[in-house]
Amino acid sequence: MRKFRAVLKREYIQRVRARMFIVSTILLPVVMSLFGIVPAIVMNIEAGGPMRVAVIDQTGKMYGRLQEALATDESTSEQENEPRTGPEMATRAFRLEQVASIGPDAAAERTKLDARLQSRELDGYLVLPPDFMQTGKAEFFNNNPGDVISRRIFLSALERAVREQRLIEAKVDPQTRQGLFQPVEMESVKVGSRGEERDAGGSFVLVFAVGFIMYLAILMYGQVILGAVIEEKETRIAEILFSSVRPFTLMMGKLVGVSLVALTQLAIWATAFSAFALYGVNLLASRGLKTSLPNIPLAHYIYFGLFFLLGYFIYATIYALVGSMVTTTQEGGQLAMPIILILVVSFYLFLPVSRSPDSSFSFWVSMIPFSAPVAMLVRIVTQTPPFWQIALSLLIGFGTVILITWAASRIYRVGMLMYGKRASLPEALRWARQA
Amino acid sequence: MATDITVQLDRVSKSFGEFKAVTDLSLMVRAGRVFGLLGPNGAGKTTTIRMIVNITAPDTGSITLFGGTINAELQNRIGYLPEERGLYRRMKVADQLRFFAELKNVRGKDVNAKIDDWLARVKLPEWKYKRSMELSKGMQQKIQFITAVLHDPDLLILDEPFSGLDPINVELLKEIVLDLKRAGKTIIFSTHQMEVAEKICDDICLINHSQKVLDGSLREIKSSFGRNAVAVRAIGGDGVLDDPELVSKLVRHADEAQALLAPGADAQVLLKRLIAAGATVEKFEMVEPSLNDIFITKVTEHA
Repeated sequence: MRKFRAVLKREYIQRVRARMFIVSTILLPVVMSLFGIVPAIVMNIEAGGPMRVAVIDQTGKMYGRLQEALATDESTSEQENEPRTGPEMATRAFRLEQVASIGPDAAAERTKLDARLQSRELDGYLVLPPDFMQTGKAEFFNNNPGDVISRRIFLSALERAVREQRLIEAKVDPQTRQGLFQPVEMESVKVGSRGEERDAGGSFVLVFAVGFIMYLAILMYGQVILGAVIEEKETRIAEILFSSVRPFTLMMGKLVGVSLVALTQLAIWATAFSAFALYGVNLLASRGLKTSLPNIPLAHYIYFGLFFLLGYFIYATIYALVGSMVTTTQEGGQLAMPIILILVVSFYLFLPVSRSPDSSFSFWVSMIPFSAPVAMLVRIVTQTPPFWQIALSLLIGFGTVILITWAASRIYRVGMLMYGKRASLPEALRWARQA
Repeated sequence: MATDITVQLDRVSKSFGEFKAVTDLSLMVRAGRVFGLLGPNGAGKTTTIRMIVNITAPDTGSITLFGGTINAELQNRIGYLPEERGLYRRMKVADQLRFFAELKNVRGKDVNAKIDDWLARVKLPEWKYKRSMELSKGMQQKIQFITAVLHDPDLLILDEPFSGLDPINVELLKEIVLDLKRAGKTIIFSTHQMEVAEKICDDICLINHSQKVLDGSLREIKSSFGRNAVAVRAIGGDGVLDDPELVSKLVRHADEAQALLAPGADAQVLLKRLIAAGATVEKFEMVEPSLNDIFITKVTEHA
């Protein structure tokens, strides 16, 4: 046990003290937030002025409506019935101009407008034919058909304008009009053993967050574990170590040591994030907005913690296993690729499991250690399974962690006795069995 | 008197798949002596040592250490400097040494004093807080040596400890090894460099192709081979030394030759023949065979 502590302490202190650790702790959140902010900024860059559009309104009623619709922001409009995709797009401003054009002058007007389009005095012109209110067919002549975003906004405004005009013509009074577009609210109420619990998906979001942090931790620290296991091979220290400490103790010490480094880093970020979040909540509260934490039982938080650790360690030990079979970090990196695949697949299992958490499919995937962390958490927050299932899943999981670590340490030792040789899979199996 | 014997191997065998690394090896390392485990490359020296330090277990046979069977506790009483050795590159020398001491269950305040003491002995005190990657190869080797002795082991196992060191440092480490012997430590010294082994070993065991060829005290082995070698410095009479009736093996050095007498040949006859051949004999001395000669004789005999 004291030797285990010695190994653990060395791994931990050497890594936390390293400049790399400090730099990545500070830099990663900065980089991540840049990834969030920069694209939004770039997409909102307004190149050029407003879009100049001429309107030939042969119906004689639409011009004013269209101007009105363009002025009201799309996102606040009541007609918003399709889900918004992608980030908030910049709503490019439009400048309309009405071209008087009823009767035979129309053709001449259009030639004039074409000329203006050519000389770039105008970005486009809209032709609303006299029967537009019935057919709903309009023509938009423009220079830049590639600008899909502006066209979509323009089209949406036109649609709203037409709808409004038609309602008015149908003699629907403004109040009824408003009533027609009243949005729907559906609150999800979970019926559990303790009665009804109102939960707007907060715990589900939390499962997703736990899964994501797990994913992040493995992506970041899997390679570190791989490197830590290979380190003694590359520096040829392994033999000295093995004359003093059992391979299993060494492997466990490394695994836990590196994991504590990962937890330290996550804890630093979590603290910083919570501080910002609290500040944000207070700010919202001071503006009279109410925010509340999702209503989640305490036991769930404990499960979140346990299954996070399980998920992390399952994948961490696989990295250790890979590390025990190879001789250089590069080789290890290639062999580790399939691990990421398993991880991603197990992450996506949360969809089928959340649809039918009680199915036998869900039961099995929540027992298999590689998919258990996400699958079982989804089951817990949807239809909490009996306690024995949760306990069994944890037992199988942590048992597997120990088993993989044991196998890794065996392979590691035999591999060390045959320097410079990478183990093939059957060899690795034989080595694990060998004393 | 089991405690007089630090390590005892009894008919130990170890193979890796088809390859026999050690076959039926029995040997005895007496306390307080320097034991040379000698043999050409690939003879099975390192495997034998790995079994003694409990890195791998023998397939058959038994190993007794300090009168008991090997276990983790006894591992702490061994200091091992493997042939494959290294240091953590980015770790400071002092941290590194403290870590290796902790792995032998040695900790506390006096470790620091011991580190200072040892760094002074190998003449590297100013490198205490340097990262090991900043050290030269020779310096690293001396630090590695300290990792093997820092926890004050009763049994010290050194596998090719001097390879790659300059003569001054070889001398320095050799003195330290002899000091440790005087302090009552048992030392197993593995090498294929016979000249070095000859100078510091009390007992030797010669192994070749996984098998023991010869063992016993160096003194006895040498005398059992008898004074059957002659160091000759003579001008002329070359043909005489090449006579296979008289000389079984001739090694010419810069200004003299070492002649191993053929079985049954008499040194006096050789001298007479040389003089009769008209040679001017400047030196004619009966000498003990060098360990190297014994080694080569034995190894070629068994080949």
